[in-house]
Amino acid sequence: MSRVIEVRGAVKRFPAVKNPPGFKEWVLKLPRIWRERGRETFTALDSVSFSVERGECLGIIGKNGAGKSTLLSLLLGTSRPSEGGIEVGAKRTPLLELGAGFHPDLTGRENVILNAVLLGLTRKEALARAPEIIAYSEIEPFIDMPVRTYSNGMYLRLAFSVAVHTDPELLLIDEVLAVGDESFQKKSEGTLTSLIRSGVTTVFVSHDLEAVRKICSRALWLDRGRIRLEGDPSRVIEAYRLGAG
Amino acid sequence: MKAAFEQRWDLLRLLTHKEFALKYKRTTLGIFWSLLNPVLQAAVFFVAFRIFMRFQIENYTFFLLAALFPWSWFSSSVIISGRSLVDNVTLIKKVVFPRHLLVAAVILAQLAHFLFSVPILAAFALGGGKGVGWNWLIGVPILVVLQLVFTFGIALVISISNTYFRDIEYLVGVLMNLVFWMTPIIYPMSAVPERFRPLLYLNPLTSLMTAWRELFFSNAILWKEIGIAAAMAVLCLAAGLAVFHKMERRLDEVL
Repeated sequence: MSRVIEVRGAVKRFPAVKNPPGFKEWVLKLPRIWRERGRETFTALDSVSFSVERGECLGIIGKNGAGKSTLLSLLLGTSRPSEGGIEVGAKRTPLLELGAGFHPDLTGRENVILNAVLLGLTRKEALARAPEIIAYSEIEPFIDMPVRTYSNGMYLRLAFSVAVHTDPELLLIDEVLAVGDESFQKKSEGTLTSLIRSGVTTVFVSHDLEAVRKICSRALWLDRGRIRLEGDPSRVIEAYRLGAG
Repeated sequence: MKAAFEQRWDLLRLLTHKEFALKYKRTTLGIFWSLLNPVLQAAVFFVAFRIFMRFQIENYTFFLLAALFPWSWFSSSVIISGRSLVDNVTLIKKVVFPRHLLVAAVILAQLAHFLFSVPILAAFALGGGKGVGWNWLIGVPILVVLQLVFTFGIALVISISNTYFRDIEYLVGVLMNLVFWMTPIIYPMSAVPERFRPLLYLNPLTSLMTAWRELFFSNAILWKEIGIAAAMAVLCLAAGLAVFHKMERRLDEVL
């Protein structure tokens, strides 16, 4: 087995003042900011270390604000650790905010191509796969209309369809397991589960403890930015329920 | 390796196309506006300078447009790309891709608009100018590449700074006005008092705009100006990339 994710002592701090100062304040308060730099911070993740092997499904549980999404964005690479190291050796496919790359004025088809390329395909590959993606999403009749005219469900279905059709090697999932109406929920959940079973490495962040127990091979409990417990999903979930309750 | 390069190239192409297509997405005339816009602009200046305000410069409208169109490419690129990172927060926070492509896409889309104005300049050159010669075929690509590199360098710094300080985009609007008047666009270099001229050459846009104008207006390639502009462009790009990559590391914390 080869290692896909290696996290060593990752720390992520955010400036405590979330509103960045304007240029004027920055110049006026430069001496103070300089003196206090690095002091007023909020530590979202505190020396977190773990690794994920190829084909594993790691579930991450914890309360709101425990650092789950921060950890996911570090793994995705949209954010970088303040300290420590993170190595990810696979193509990352995020299922975080579905349709983040969609533009309302582009048609469904145009968005499919653009997003498939954003997720790592070449344009040629994206064009070749478009029919399959569109058929899966079940919104064929509307595919050449701008997505601003779509219902929320249609939007999510299309975005989900693009993401699972881009040869994921490492899936990073934040709560999104199933989208759309009941029949599509079944279909999308089935697709994800079979992707995970087929050996696609997965990191799954969720509050749905039963889903974690069902699909994950290992679980990790984050508590206020630190790893509280790691191991067999049933055992971690048990401890989390006791500890959190 | 080749596939990764192809994928990035495709992404740049698609982002540029998006930038370009979205502009006219909900208009009736569509892409035709890209041609209509400079034509109307030219018509307005033509009327203004033929009838209301007469300058001593022969064929002043053409003289002006030969530098004004390239300038518009520069200024609109910088102003629009200043917001390109701030406006794509969701994309930046949820998808991993080289962020500088967002900036490059804006400049390339604006380049497309600029290219639509070249036929208008050609029309002026044929009817009353020095004509259109081989020099255009050599000069236009060279100057396009130089301005592309130069603008990209500047836009990288401005777009990334704007994510830290949202004041930058307003500052840029004002500065752009200042730079416009400090660049020989609506006036010739000869109108500037001799002792101020070296000062004007400190402005990297002076050599670039002068080279554009001489190409279109006089059908001449100014190799010295091109050399200066090339050096400036490379410097700007190197500085821009360095600043961008340093500041990009904390992009998620400021957006």
